[in-house]
Amino acid sequence: MELLITNLAHGFGVALSFENLLFALLGCVIGTAIGVLPGIGPVATISLLLPITFGMSATTAIIMLAGIFYGAQYGGSTTAILLNLPGEVSSVVTTLEGYKMARKGRAGAALATAAIGSFFAGTVSTIIVAASGPLLTQVALSFGPADYFSLMLLGLIISAVLAQGSVIKAIAMVVFGVALGLVGTDVQTGQQRFTFGIPELSDGIGFVPVAMGMFGIAEIILNLERPESRSVLTHKVGSLFLTKEEFRRATPSVLRGTLLGSLLGILPGGGASLAAFGSYMMERKISKYRHEFGTGAIEGVAGPEAANNAAAQTSFIPLLTLGIPANAVMALMVGALIIQGIQPGPRMVEAQPDLFWGLIASMWVGNLMLLVINLPMIGVWVKLLEVPYKYLYPSILIFCSIGVYSLNNNVFDVYMTLFFGVFGYLCSKLRLEAAPMLIGFVLGPMMEEHLRRAMLLSRGDVAVFIERPISATLLAIGALALGTMLLPNMRKKKEEAMAG
Amino acid sequence: MKLNTKDLIGGGMLLALALIGLWLNQDHTLGTARRMGPGYMPMLTFWLLAGLGGFVVIAGLFNGPDPLDKWTKLEVVAVPFGIIAFFVAYLIAKQFGVPGWYPLGLALLGGCLALSVAPGWRPIGLVHAGMAVFGLLLEQGGLMVAIIGAVLIAVLAEPTHRPKGVLGLVVFLCVLCWWVFIKELEIRVPLWPAFLGN
Repeated sequence: MELLITNLAHGFGVALSFENLLFALLGCVIGTAIGVLPGIGPVATISLLLPITFGMSATTAIIMLAGIFYGAQYGGSTTAILLNLPGEVSSVVTTLEGYKMARKGRAGAALATAAIGSFFAGTVSTIIVAASGPLLTQVALSFGPADYFSLMLLGLIISAVLAQGSVIKAIAMVVFGVALGLVGTDVQTGQQRFTFGIPELSDGIGFVPVAMGMFGIAEIILNLERPESRSVLTHKVGSLFLTKEEFRRATPSVLRGTLLGSLLGILPGGGASLAAFGSYMMERKISKYRHEFGTGAIEGVAGPEAANNAAAQTSFIPLLTLGIPANAVMALMVGALIIQGIQPGPRMVEAQPDLFWGLIASMWVGNLMLLVINLPMIGVWVKLLEVPYKYLYPSILIFCSIGVYSLNNNVFDVYMTLFFGVFGYLCSKLRLEAAPMLIGFVLGPMMEEHLRRAMLLSRGDVAVFIERPISATLLAIGALALGTMLLPNMRKKKEEAMAG
Repeated sequence: MKLNTKDLIGGGMLLALALIGLWLNQDHTLGTARRMGPGYMPMLTFWLLAGLGGFVVIAGLFNGPDPLDKWTKLEVVAVPFGIIAFFVAYLIAKQFGVPGWYPLGLALLGGCLALSVAPGWRPIGLVHAGMAVFGLLLEQGGLMVAIIGAVLIAVLAEPTHRPKGVLGLVVFLCVLCWWVFIKELEIRVPLWPAFLGN
């Protein structure tokens, strides 16, 4: 406990330095902006800004990128409540009750509930990350290569099971991602694999072109195909203060949402949107006011908003302690760390205390900033929505192009992004999920290395994966997760949860 | 029959990619389970992918119907037309000895523009064409020319654009990108055309 406080104090020392504060603020502002704007999400934005972070210190870079991620959760709820327009996937459920509240003239109360609930959830989950991080790290340090391989396999399985749509297709995309990750020079023999003699591919396919193409460019096209429906703000925001009655009703929902979100965030593939859906379902079932759902019940805003922010924070746990990304954004964080020369994993707490504790402290600072950025300045963000998409998409395109070029100062990366833009569009038309693919793509090379090492140590005996207790347990959980999806009952439940 | 067209095509695509991967993987030494060569993990991965892709295809025969969006005749024709244009442009550029990545850029531009003859494909065709133009113009024409070129192509994807608005957008983006990328971030990219000799 004392150690925790010393560490957190150290973290705050890092997070409160002028430079880190500045970039945390920048990240939060950018995050809120893209959260408000539909059609550009945190994955595209972070991949867009990755090249820019090269010049920063690793800590500052990660603090800024993290700010974008959780800032987007805040911003997304603003438009969901005011305009019935979810800025992010995770705020889709907020439209259900939030917009109804706005129509009843309680928009201000809904916004305040969302912001305060998010802040509370952010505070609690920051403490959870700080407390569980070092513990999990201790466990992870005793992992052998076989355990690591099983852990990554488990991560991939869960991310596929929790992905939207068909589980089989999600697993197929994960495997395809792993295959893409194999392109490049083989680490052990130096042999070129699947590079077609292209020197640019010998370091592997860059994850920035993949992420930017599949999440940024493909998204532009999907948005252009949809007819633009922009509702104008017709309701007054009204008072931001909650009535006593509203406060009393929102509190238990925030607490439940925080708990559920913190748990679901840790699961690979879970993340913010699943947490929000889960919390909404739960509130609709157990709230005392469930008969009011559908007419603007404050519980339906408080729970999901707390849950999505809690999940956004705790999804850093697998990344910081095990080096395993829980979702597409975390996969980009792995990329950002590797570019900075830091191998994410259990050794990070020891080797990079500034980064680890600074990031955790900055999450709390960032949440505080977001409260200020969002509540009093709500009018500014709503104004942003008046920028028509037809001016927005050429700008996104240009930023993506310049950003991806500046990676290596090579136009090949621009063409690569273009290619993955087309591929991403195709995938989304065929209902093949891009997020599991990106996670597989990032984990693929690490998995291969651990598999090779494990097999070398066991002299080629596959039994090592079930003989080691840690590995066996992890594999059992993975098999269980897959098994539950085969039960028709569970599959139906998942579909319900995903459909909100 | 309850055909799930999306799954049939999607699974078929993954299966095809897996088979190509397995075919290419023949060049790599497999090694043994104990000492895995460079080809071992790809072999495992692509076999798994082939199995999953095949499964999606077979399941797709029964779990439909989930048809693709209706395509007009022009859209159907435009896809092979775009692919042909890609290869023709590439071969022509190679024939004339165009160096570096320019043949690839020209091929992508040609393919995307050819695809855009169908109005339904204009978003995907013209946005990507804008990106290809950016790549083609950047190193010789400089950042400003590349932005102008890319924006002028990309705005065609949205029919409601008006010349005045586009002009404003171009100027805004040129100034913004100069400020962010050149002045603040100091990325190494030529700003003006190479023939101006700066």
